Amino acid sequence: MEYSNLRRQIIFMKKNLFDQGYLDEQFNQLEELQDESSPNFVEEVAALFFKDSSRLLTNIEQAIDKYPQDFYRLDSLVQQLKGSGSSIGALRMKNECSVFKANCNDRNLEGCRRSLQKMKREHATLKQKLESYFQLLRQVGPRDYAVSSRK
Amino acid sequence: MAFQTQGSNLRALLVEDIKVNRMILSQMLRKFQVETTVVQNGKEAVELFLGGETFDIVLTDNLMPIMTGPEAISKIRAMGATDVMIVGVSVDANSMEEFKDAGADLCVPKLKLEILEHILQETRSKKNKSSA
Repeated sequence: MEYSNLRRQIIFMKKNLFDQGYLDEQFNQLEELQDESSPNFVEEVAALFFKDSSRLLTNIEQAIDKYPQDFYRLDSLVQQLKGSGSSIGALRMKNECSVFKANCNDRNLEGCRRSLQKMKREHATLKQKLESYFQLLRQVGPRDYAVSSRK
Repeated sequence: MAFQTQGSNLRALLVEDIKVNRMILSQMLRKFQVETTVVQNGKEAVELFLGGETFDIVLTDNLMPIMTGPEAISKIRAMGATDVMIVGVSVDANSMEEFKDAGADLCVPKLKLEILEHILQETRSKKNKSSA
């Protein structure tokens, strides 16, 4: 019974992540790549993403505070964040990166600052939600992850 | 999805500077039993070709440090490597034209398993035709 509840929670949690726009279809692609030889693939990719993206967000913040602003460098940093975010299906983050890039293009510093704050919030929220999701998955075990991931 | 392979393994060169993307694309290629060499920028890719390495398919990002994907593609094609399938992979919509102008066979904004399977099948057919 406990196990069924856990599985239901996982399915519900994942559906919410998609319905609320935190994740897109690309996340399903990651789950399809997980197998017996890489049983923790999705969690490992997510961990790598959050490690790299935290560093990028710090670099972006430092670059924004420099004077004169180097919008080319800012754009390059956000492009990296957009690329990796897109690869894991982090939809809201990817969209906010596009907003940031548009602000860079317009050399709109205030727009960039606002966008950065939003990116940081989306980043923190997604990290927290995925940590909860992976925590539940660990409780059901790798054997049944494949079933959960197809829902 | 069943990951099918037919005949001998293809050899791929993956050119990507972002770690997360390298990890995902490598795993995708592994699913199709493709022998994959990974480099982090266009210059490293060109150096492999200059060193006499051959590949059936190159998958490359656009914007990378030191040398971009399109720059590398131009140099690889100029070396006479006209048979190798070259695929540009980039979320940036502006990249498509750059890739094509440089000599890429095709460009995709994201590499999904279904798309990769189709590309690998096409690469395999091309390889079988040229060795016949």
